[in-house]
Amino acid sequence: MAAPTVSIAAPNAQEIVAASDAVRNPSKPFSLTTTLIEYRNGKEVSSSTVASYAKADKDSGKYLNLVRFVAPARDADKLMLKAGNDLWFYDPASKASVRVSPQQRLLGQAANGDIVTVNLAKDYKAELAGQEEVQDGEREKRQAHKLLLAASAEDVTYHRIELWVDAANSRPIKARFFADSGRLLKTAYYRRFQPQLGTERPTETVIIDGLDPGWVTIMRYTDYAFRDVPDAWMQRDYLPRFKPG
Amino acid sequence: MSARDLSCALALLLGIAAGPATASDEDALTLADLPAAPPEQASDWRIALEGAGGRASQRIGQPRVDGHRLSLDVAYDSNFAPGWRAVFASRLDWRWQTQDPRESKVNTLKEAYLSHQLNPTAIVDAGRINVRNGVGTGFNPTDFFRDGAVRSLISPNPSSLRNNRLGSVMLRAQTLWIDGSLTGIYSPELKDTRNDAPFNADLGATNHEHRLLLSLSQRLTPAINPQFLLYKTESLPLQAGANLTMLLGNATVAYVEWAGGRSASLRAQALGGMDDTAYVQRASTGLTYTGPAKTSLTVEYQHNGAGLSKHDWNALQAGPSDRYIRYRLLAQSRQDPPTKAAWFLYGSWQDAWISQLDLSAFVRHNMADRSRMVWVEARYHRGRYDFAFQWQHNLGRAGSEYGALPQKSSWQLIVSRFF
Repeated sequence: MAAPTVSIAAPNAQEIVAASDAVRNPSKPFSLTTTLIEYRNGKEVSSSTVASYAKADKDSGKYLNLVRFVAPARDADKLMLKAGNDLWFYDPASKASVRVSPQQRLLGQAANGDIVTVNLAKDYKAELAGQEEVQDGEREKRQAHKLLLAASAEDVTYHRIELWVDAANSRPIKARFFADSGRLLKTAYYRRFQPQLGTERPTETVIIDGLDPGWVTIMRYTDYAFRDVPDAWMQRDYLPRFKPG
Repeated sequence: MSARDLSCALALLLGIAAGPATASDEDALTLADLPAAPPEQASDWRIALEGAGGRASQRIGQPRVDGHRLSLDVAYDSNFAPGWRAVFASRLDWRWQTQDPRESKVNTLKEAYLSHQLNPTAIVDAGRINVRNGVGTGFNPTDFFRDGAVRSLISPNPSSLRNNRLGSVMLRAQTLWIDGSLTGIYSPELKDTRNDAPFNADLGATNHEHRLLLSLSQRLTPAINPQFLLYKTESLPLQAGANLTMLLGNATVAYVEWAGGRSASLRAQALGGMDDTAYVQRASTGLTYTGPAKTSLTVEYQHNGAGLSKHDWNALQAGPSDRYIRYRLLAQSRQDPPTKAAWFLYGSWQDAWISQLDLSAFVRHNMADRSRMVWVEARYHRGRYDFAFQWQHNLGRAGSEYGALPQKSSWQLIVSRFF
């Protein structure tokens, strides 16, 4: 008598990434405050705070992001608008909205792509590399899907990403970001999961530079709130007027 | 034992440093375990206090000048009621120097206006507003409200000229749609003449004639978002303008800014004489390249069709000095190059060598007389303080654009405190 065969569908890599995106990003337009603290060799060298407003584009599903600088005081009320590669920087002192290239860094070690909301499943083609036991940001061992992400859109910050997603709950655990040349640019740990806007979301990302491990940026997320911003405000000409109440 | 040491020791005791995470990852996570300060909150106020001291070497035969400056910059921006916003910005510069005038105070009332949002896509504003158009870096032909706006010159750096200037009193209405906007501005004549009294609002500097401006922006593709402008004053026929930026790859932004219309030349406006009204164009076009390690470089070509040709510029220098001075003062007030063509080069390097140290420099090069202005700044940020060193050098023969400036070279040390 032949043993019964059980058919188990292999997890779809793209769906795993999308589920992980859903853990990081609320399904409706939202705002949050991000505090970035930069360390060099264990010593804090800079700190900044930004308030971000994100909403997914109806057609592409990609996020439109409006980022307002809160601190340090010298940068207060400056704004960054990012829609794909379309990136504008506004300075309230000069009233000037300046187009900047995606390469331009506005905040220390963190790339612009790090401080804005991104749906990786929309920008990358994912491949499942296997299952691995990995240590998470809280030093717990987790069974994880290891995914290899290759950029499928031009307007992305990183060419290739290795992403570990918790097999039990789709939480992102850790990611390694690579340049076009294959060089490791940075490693990120997602940690301190807390209930925010309906589910447990990471409230901290620890970023470690690929070349200089002593260069660390900690990003802390607070003040999560559902908040819609009219579509007409997500453009260059509204930047001088953007003043959330 | 510090909190960090304690965390490391605990991690070792519990054996949790082992595993796929590397030792450097463990160090980073230990840093993240440190207690977090509460996040900073946004404020309606932006206040900066700045002290500066420096020295200027004059042209041959003139004594050097030592000077000090104390500046207070205050900005307030508040949604004081649903749909209502109040904006105020002012700057006081108090100077002392070793030549006359030994002491001077200049207050620049940059902005004071009320804004009302009629609905999410329609807004009206009234009061003194600093409207700035233009995508150029060193010259902005479509920045139509720049005329007479600089009341106190802090630095020749273009960003300082944009930051520290008077707005114009106006009524402004704007409507927006999903990928564009239309803005209409009426700025009335309020005073005929400037007033240099320290705390005067100096309405004559900015509102000495009736002016109208219409600007339309429309995104054509995700990458192309041009702006078109129409500008009319009592003294000028209709002027048109356009701004366009384009992304070339991931690291380069190209831009072109253009304005054109019938007008008299700068010389005729400054010196009178025969009416030479003709179709005149001004333009500023360039590239900004973002390099590795947070460096960026801008190269810009500037054209002023109302400026003097090389031949006429030489002739003006050879003529009576009062005519030369009148011409230079008008060009300076308009923020126009005095001659037809110039190059502008601007470079910056963030976190140069050490974190929080920014270097920036620019060169202005007049193509008619080959004179140059070189400006360099090193700025270090530390907490709420900035420490800066600025150096400026003007090169060129006597009478040239930069060779005629009284200061040959100067430097200043600046300390700023942000509140």
